[in-house]
Amino acid sequence: MTSSIERHSFNRRTLIKAASASTFALAAPRLSWGQSKTLVAATFPGTWSEADRQIILPAFKAQTGASVTQSIVLGTDQISRLVAAKGNKPPFDVAFFDAPQVIDAVRDGLIAEYPAAQSPNFKDLLPAAQNKWGPKITMQVIGIGYNPDKIKTPPTSWEDLWDAKYKGRVGLTALNSQLGIAFIAELNRIRGGTDDNFDPAFKALRELLPNVGAIGANLGAFATLWQQGEIDIAPYNFNFVQTLKAKGVPVEFAIPSTGPVGWSTSLHVVAGATEPELALQYIDLHLSAAIQEQMLKPPFDVIPTNAKVKLEGAITKSLAKTQDDLAKVRTFDWAKLNPQRGALIDRFNREIKV
Amino acid sequence: MTASGSRLILPLAALFFACFVAPLLVLLALSLHSDVAMKAWTIGNYAKFFTDPFNYSILVDTLLLGVKATLVCLIFGYPIAWLCARASARWQSVLLFLVILPILTSVVVRTFAWIVILGRQGVLNQIAMGLGLVHEPLRLLNTEMGVVMVLAQVQMPLMVLPILTVLSKMDPNLADASRVLGAGEWRTFWKVTLPLSLPGIIAGCILTYSANITAFVTQSLIGGARLIYMPLHIYQQAVGANNWPFAAAISIIFMMAVIAVVAVLSVFARASETYGRA
Repeated sequence: MTSSIERHSFNRRTLIKAASASTFALAAPRLSWGQSKTLVAATFPGTWSEADRQIILPAFKAQTGASVTQSIVLGTDQISRLVAAKGNKPPFDVAFFDAPQVIDAVRDGLIAEYPAAQSPNFKDLLPAAQNKWGPKITMQVIGIGYNPDKIKTPPTSWEDLWDAKYKGRVGLTALNSQLGIAFIAELNRIRGGTDDNFDPAFKALRELLPNVGAIGANLGAFATLWQQGEIDIAPYNFNFVQTLKAKGVPVEFAIPSTGPVGWSTSLHVVAGATEPELALQYIDLHLSAAIQEQMLKPPFDVIPTNAKVKLEGAITKSLAKTQDDLAKVRTFDWAKLNPQRGALIDRFNREIKV
Repeated sequence: MTASGSRLILPLAALFFACFVAPLLVLLALSLHSDVAMKAWTIGNYAKFFTDPFNYSILVDTLLLGVKATLVCLIFGYPIAWLCARASARWQSVLLFLVILPILTSVVVRTFAWIVILGRQGVLNQIAMGLGLVHEPLRLLNTEMGVVMVLAQVQMPLMVLPILTVLSKMDPNLADASRVLGAGEWRTFWKVTLPLSLPGIIAGCILTYSANITAFVTQSLIGGARLIYMPLHIYQQAVGANNWPFAAAISIIFMMAVIAVVAVLSVFARASETYGRA
């Protein structure tokens, strides 16, 4: 080995030179790239990553000159990553959470208090959306998704899922998604359970099993089940229905007679963020009436939280005519549900098997 | 190896230690604690795993899934490798390209393609129903059979390439000699070709087996959330339930189980090599 190197008069110094030259060549594009600042923002897969990319990112670039790197991960995954990076540089500057993660993040000191005074659009939000840990940018509502080609009479109640005519046609998602947890919590409430006793929900799910065609391991897989016609009816999220519909998938959204139920989704500056200034500007942009009006348009139909935005489109057809109607959407007690998440996932895995 | 030669592996050894051994030790330490802050030592996580039939049934299911998918890989992969080894130089490069093709696309893309193939209204069901073989669409998605089919295709190159390497290095005179001595095609295959290709078969099995049982994407996308294998179990415990110490413990247990299986196969590999030389 040594002799062959000597024979080719290839000494250590030339080797190091060559190596460092190639390292520099690899690093060079990054250097020029780094001249304009980059914000790393977490976002959810699906509706939100697409809406952010199409609406927020160009507006943010125009306003600040900075670019955004999207980190597309679910809320629970974001918590895990922030916990893992605690004490080091956090993996992203802006966190994108559903209501339950906010409680965990505040408890673990993962997010900073939102500097509302420096955020011009904050005061235009509905009072309920003005959270001191970070503004609520939208609300997510669950109801019944169904395939109108196969199901001519729209479902009117959660109980429809148990109808024998939907044998093998009902879909569910695993409980690691917010949709899964919210559905089981609502089901438990309807069947007479409490936040301390989930027996009624699990009994109902076991009775549902003959109808269950597939359980999506994640929301991406769940969307595919709809696209491939594997399922015809399932608990689903209002926005995901709109996004799929815009892609030509036959799916409609119905609110069950027990009423709409949902949770807020919010943006947060991560504790110890690398770019706190940009993070604030990025979040504030999400709050502006002009942006929320754009996000409200199809295919995104993102439910606004800015009081100046007038509801229109798909929302007014199935969900709410005015902001007051939205205030009536029932929510969950996440402080009570969060500690049970692990146990619920475990129980679901054991009891809801083939 | 000379002293300077062994010094040459130092950078790699350091990288290996920093990026693999050290995190693994942290994982091991975490699995022996009851909290993420690592204050209280305990073997509770391991006890919890082995006292709960639900947990080890997942482990057994996962290890068996690997056996099934690896066998399918072998049954379909060996003839392909054999064909490749026999083909003319030009055909060999075409076949080789086709074999490697799956590795060139992302596993997520390949798996989604399979969803389209296996679905109720998928290609496979439409063909089967068009031919009148079945009247109701077959359930292939969200079943173990579906997972085995997809894993076998996705990991096929890992089986074909090692076998092909061994087969193409084999002296063609051996087969000729066997034939001259009166053995037919099949006898030559069973008595000469197959035993000599054992090292390749075992290498292929080790590679596909470890790839099959750890294939998180394929298992969870094709199998859905009802079929739980170890990778999904670990993911759910780590991310969904935020129970890192337990997730660490089951990762260690899973790794040990895989190492045990691979070790057994390696013993066979060593034995088969001596056979080949004899």
